Amino acid sequence: MPDTMPPIASPELKMEIKKLILETLKISDVKPEDIDNAASLFENNPVVQLDSVDALEIVMALQRAYGVHIDDQNIGRFIIRSVDSIAEFVAKEKAKANK
Amino acid sequence: MSQIPFEHKLAAHCESGMLSALLNHKGLRISEPMVLGLTGAIFFVFIKTPHMVFPVFDMRSRPGDMRKNLGKRLGIEFRTQKFRDPLAARASLEALVARGIPTTVQVDMFYMDYIPSYMRVHFNAHFIVVLGKEASDFLVSDCYYPSISRLSQDSLDKARFAKSDFAPKGFQFYVASLPPHGVSDDMLRAAAIKGIKQAASNMVRLPVPFIGIKGMRRFADNIPTWPKIARNMDALSHAIMSIHITLEERGTGGGGFRFMYASFLQEAAKFCNRPEFSDMSKRIMAIGDRWRELSLFVARIGKDRDLGDNRMQEIRQMIRARADEEEAFFRDLLAMVK
Repeated sequence: MPDTMPPIASPELKMEIKKLILETLKISDVKPEDIDNAASLFENNPVVQLDSVDALEIVMALQRAYGVHIDDQNIGRFIIRSVDSIAEFVAKEKAKANK
Repeated sequence: MSQIPFEHKLAAHCESGMLSALLNHKGLRISEPMVLGLTGAIFFVFIKTPHMVFPVFDMRSRPGDMRKNLGKRLGIEFRTQKFRDPLAARASLEALVARGIPTTVQVDMFYMDYIPSYMRVHFNAHFIVVLGKEASDFLVSDCYYPSISRLSQDSLDKARFAKSDFAPKGFQFYVASLPPHGVSDDMLRAAAIKGIKQAASNMVRLPVPFIGIKGMRRFADNIPTWPKIARNMDALSHAIMSIHITLEERGTGGGGFRFMYASFLQEAAKFCNRPEFSDMSKRIMAIGDRWRELSLFVARIGKDRDLGDNRMQEIRQMIRARADEEEAFFRDLLAMVK
């Protein structure tokens, strides 16, 4: 694979992240497969609707699970906007760490 | 009027992010953490006045201090203005932008219509850079938003003349000039050392009871009194959760600016050739992680209304533990730059 290809956020990673979110926030009445990967986790989501405290919990859970440090909530808001954006970030950070 | 070409970036904190972007535009490549560090802006202040029910705190120096210290330390001239009349303020801004001068304005963040409504709060010390105007919309670079945005002139007028604490009063400024021979690496190194000395001295040496480590401990010790002064549980919860908001939600770069300071020390280790700053970077990063844990703790107990006296004591102990760590950190840092 050429070096310039962006790291791929696999479906497995996305499922892992959805499980992590539900476990961290102790949401027991939603299944991971019910969460749309592209949908905002914070606005107009029929399945989960998170707030800023949930956002911080997710940030810290991601740090524990993947060793990724999201310093700032302003930038973090866009990273953890959706499952897709979280997975993309984690995949990128993992690829950086493996170089 | 066309838009001034400008490198727009997301940033952790509006003042440092905006200053970094403005100076980058003028050809001085300086990162956001460098702005924080060179200006000695990492801080702690405990604020209690008779008209406040609950005291508040802040983890950085006053709005405006970063700009003033950059000017002083790097010889940068910023031209500033305030206005009483919104139309005069608008005309002045239009004239500057028409001349190709990116101009910063102080605004109430609530009126930034391009930001999702759930993210908007009334906050009068927000800074954005105006880059152009099309019809009745200004084109703005807001480092809290991922792209250059449009803001109606009516919304910008309201934002620039909002009332209440830190009222903007039409404040605007731009970079008038850099030093004639540019900003050398030696100047940056000297400014970094001065900034570190200032920050460390402010935290551990100022004989003022509400500033620095003294202020942190005073704030910690005040918290167990809050259940008695709160009119009800909702008010207490709001006050406790405001600790979380100040640490993590109000654009601090996380951990009450401690993560950003860690980034600054990492940069300073390289360009000042001081490898010991790298170890200090790791220390303040770890301290920032513990501020973040405290932030999550208060947010959880605030949300759950789990706010008994034992919880207040826990918060007090956690903040005092941060104070002990930061006292050791800043004393060691000051010793390195004496």
